[in-house]
Amino acid sequence: MDPELKRLSQFDEEIQKIARQFRLDCFPQEFDVIPAQKMLEILAYRFPVNFSHWSFGRDYEREKTRYEYGFGVPYEVVLNSDPSRAYLMNTNPFPVQVMVMAHVYAHNDFMKNSFYFRPTRRDILPSASEAAIRFQKYEKRFGLEEVEHVVDSGIAIEVNIDPDFFIREESEEEQKERLSTPSARPEIPGAYDDLIARKKPDRPPSNHYDKKTPLEPERDVLLYIINHSPKPLREWEKDVLSVIRDQSRYFMPQRRTKIMNEGWATFWHMKIMDRLFKEGLLNAEEHGYYNLYNARVLATNPRMPNPYLVGLKMFEDIEDRWNTGKFGREWEECKDPKKREAWDLGLGQGREKIFEVRRRFSDRFFIEEFLTEKLVEDLDLYLYEGKQEHGEIRYVISDRDWRRIKNLLVSQLSTFGTPLILVEDGDYKGKRELYLKHAFEGIELDQEYREKTLERIFYLWDRPVHLESVVDGNGVVFSFDGTSHTSTKNP
Amino acid sequence: MAIKKQDWRLSQRGLKDAARHRQKIKESIQKNIAEIISDASIITRKKGQIVKVPIRGLKTYHFIHKRESSGGTGTGQGEGEKGDVIGRQPTPDRRPGQPGEQPGVDFLETEIDIEELIEMMLKDLGLPNLKKKPFAETVIPKGWRFESIEKKGLIAHLDKKRTLKEAVKRTSAFLGELMRRTGETEESCRKALTIAKGDLLRAERILREGNLSEETQPFIPLFSEDLRYRTLERDIEYQSNAVVLAMMDVSGSMGTMKKYLARSFFFWLVEFLRQIYNHVQIRFIAHTTEAKLVDEYEFFHRGESGGTFCYSAYDLAIHLVETEYSPVRWNVYPFHFSDGEDFDPMKTVASTKRLMELGVCMLGYGEIQADPYNASRLMDAFENQLHLEKRHIGTGDFRVLFGTDQATPFLGAILKEKSHVYLALREFLRKEKGS
Repeated sequence: MDPELKRLSQFDEEIQKIARQFRLDCFPQEFDVIPAQKMLEILAYRFPVNFSHWSFGRDYEREKTRYEYGFGVPYEVVLNSDPSRAYLMNTNPFPVQVMVMAHVYAHNDFMKNSFYFRPTRRDILPSASEAAIRFQKYEKRFGLEEVEHVVDSGIAIEVNIDPDFFIREESEEEQKERLSTPSARPEIPGAYDDLIARKKPDRPPSNHYDKKTPLEPERDVLLYIINHSPKPLREWEKDVLSVIRDQSRYFMPQRRTKIMNEGWATFWHMKIMDRLFKEGLLNAEEHGYYNLYNARVLATNPRMPNPYLVGLKMFEDIEDRWNTGKFGREWEECKDPKKREAWDLGLGQGREKIFEVRRRFSDRFFIEEFLTEKLVEDLDLYLYEGKQEHGEIRYVISDRDWRRIKNLLVSQLSTFGTPLILVEDGDYKGKRELYLKHAFEGIELDQEYREKTLERIFYLWDRPVHLESVVDGNGVVFSFDGTSHTSTKNP
Repeated sequence: MAIKKQDWRLSQRGLKDAARHRQKIKESIQKNIAEIISDASIITRKKGQIVKVPIRGLKTYHFIHKRESSGGTGTGQGEGEKGDVIGRQPTPDRRPGQPGEQPGVDFLETEIDIEELIEMMLKDLGLPNLKKKPFAETVIPKGWRFESIEKKGLIAHLDKKRTLKEAVKRTSAFLGELMRRTGETEESCRKALTIAKGDLLRAERILREGNLSEETQPFIPLFSEDLRYRTLERDIEYQSNAVVLAMMDVSGSMGTMKKYLARSFFFWLVEFLRQIYNHVQIRFIAHTTEAKLVDEYEFFHRGESGGTFCYSAYDLAIHLVETEYSPVRWNVYPFHFSDGEDFDPMKTVASTKRLMELGVCMLGYGEIQADPYNASRLMDAFENQLHLEKRHIGTGDFRVLFGTDQATPFLGAILKEKSHVYLALREFLRKEKGS
């Protein structure tokens, strides 16, 4: 066994011991030491083996360039599976490997214990490599471009799926049953209920739901198209789209807990690394090396908050507040800065609190609940806008008000940064055209991306597609009929 | 063991898909090549430099919120006051299939060098790669020169050095033979050979009879078969030269856009000729009512008020061809751009005819009609006087006019927008290929 691997194994055991002392609760953890090329491939393809697509190739090349120019922060990939699987790049210096391992154990704990990760399939790895083989067969049989078209289109709406899929999984029959008996209609809470007022029809005629499709506005646009496209989609096309949808569902928990998950992992890797140094297992030089890389992980980006840094500072703040009792009515109402400064009720509930937060919260509620005015200041967050001036676009800081910053973050995180699109009618005008609705939450859609995405949906639906949205405060319906884009005012 | 180091058989998937992405980029370039070749960032580079064209990576589309670059609001992190600029980028130049860039994570830039771009254009044109064709060569007589060495010839062409060399060679062979046959020293043999005046048999006899007189000085005798003469041959040189005589109206009516079109065209013309000829020169003739030789910078940046006599440029071109660029040695490509305004089109036609009579490869005239209301059109005069044939190319309003016989290597093009530069080049190359 090569000596570095042996030393890594010793550290692995040591880290596990420390993690247990910190009360982290992990799946069994497996590490693979892999060459850089493989790591870059996993980053681009999301899995160790996945189906082929030019966009993965593009990302692979981009990751490769970043790696070769030394831009990247230490690469870390950990997959949500049982046992948990993570990768270490063989070109990383030893102390960086140790840092990544410590970081991975905290991710592992997060994924095992977060409420949002519970319903995910932990057998995704073999299913991705099986899909790779099937897609290859499709390429041979139906042609590369055919398959590419379907993948392009599927990827275009891969995030337009139901984020709460694990709460509400009912068949259409059950759905019809539920909707037709108004008295027995249970109100099922969803992530967007505060954003979209659900329609409450006044006792629809008894046959109302016989023809209606979808029965109620459908969040899973991709699934709806797979099941209802009048094209009709062939079996292999449905397979391709289903694979894309499954992978997207698999990553949904990561998408909605990015800040928390990275913050949590950073919080613990710092604690574990300090312990290893104190125990004399890492020498000063190695610890210095680690500090250098850790600083890169925590570097700020002028155009996007760093989730590692934001999450870390928030967990530290929560721990401190619940240790000292800086919460509740008395604390809120105290306006005396000196008193606030010296506030310490000696509760010591910090550790317990952060473990509870990691179990119950998603980013949206995490930010809403725990991002304080002081944190916004300490984290140097701001709002910015792009302005066209002198033949260039200038990005200018537009606001430092903590409430508005928080509001924007919360509204972006409500839909994980992507707009919410619903299928309103799959038989629009009685001609099986597709009518989609953007649940407008105050931010308009990007025109270029909107048009291109509609074109891709058209490819799957093969009849005119419409999208209701808002531009400059006015309702507009955008349509694509296969050749041209049109828009009409929506009264 | 929780930590493994397996032998990873590296898949080629990443590389393969990356190649597919590049191929798709190429296809998208090919679709938009007319726009790309007239792109300013390519044309304003200096000649001879390796030019790279930035091409944006292809995007994966989905519904997204309005971006910060188009007026949306984003959150950022770092120091700075309200109003501080935290980043900037050039305004995206939107063109079909080449949408504006997205800041941040999705941005990717690829480079393609000019050779590759030209190759794509050739492919698009259905032309073979010119580089595979040997350079077009011109045979030029340069006078006479001594070519080979013969045993017979005029005494005036006697090559003394070579003759002496032959004599030495022969003498030493004789000496060796004498020494072998008689067993005498080299010096005695040399003396004997001298007395015998180079006759090998006589020298042998003299040696055997012992009739060597002491005072004989050895020398190397010359025989008629030692004589070598030089012969004369016609001297021919193979050359591969082309010159572009770039002519342009720089009077007030030629606006920036018109010059830009002319500039794009000249840039690509020179690039293409470089593929065919070893050596390509370009001379710049700017004219209003008078023509002047200028440098490249002045050519594109000078603007003068006043009238326009296009013939002045053609006359200067004729002068250049007669004094510096004889069509015997040079492949001459005069190209003229104007907006069609000419105070004396008939005189211009006459000068054009003279220039063609000198034997230029192709005379090009590009009329840039960016304004709908141009007074007189030089092209009309050319069309009538040179009996040109007119043809519409493509779906737009691009037209070319060309000479119908061998004596009229004329190509005229009417350019109205950027994409016409490419169409004009394409017609030019078609004609070149045909000839």
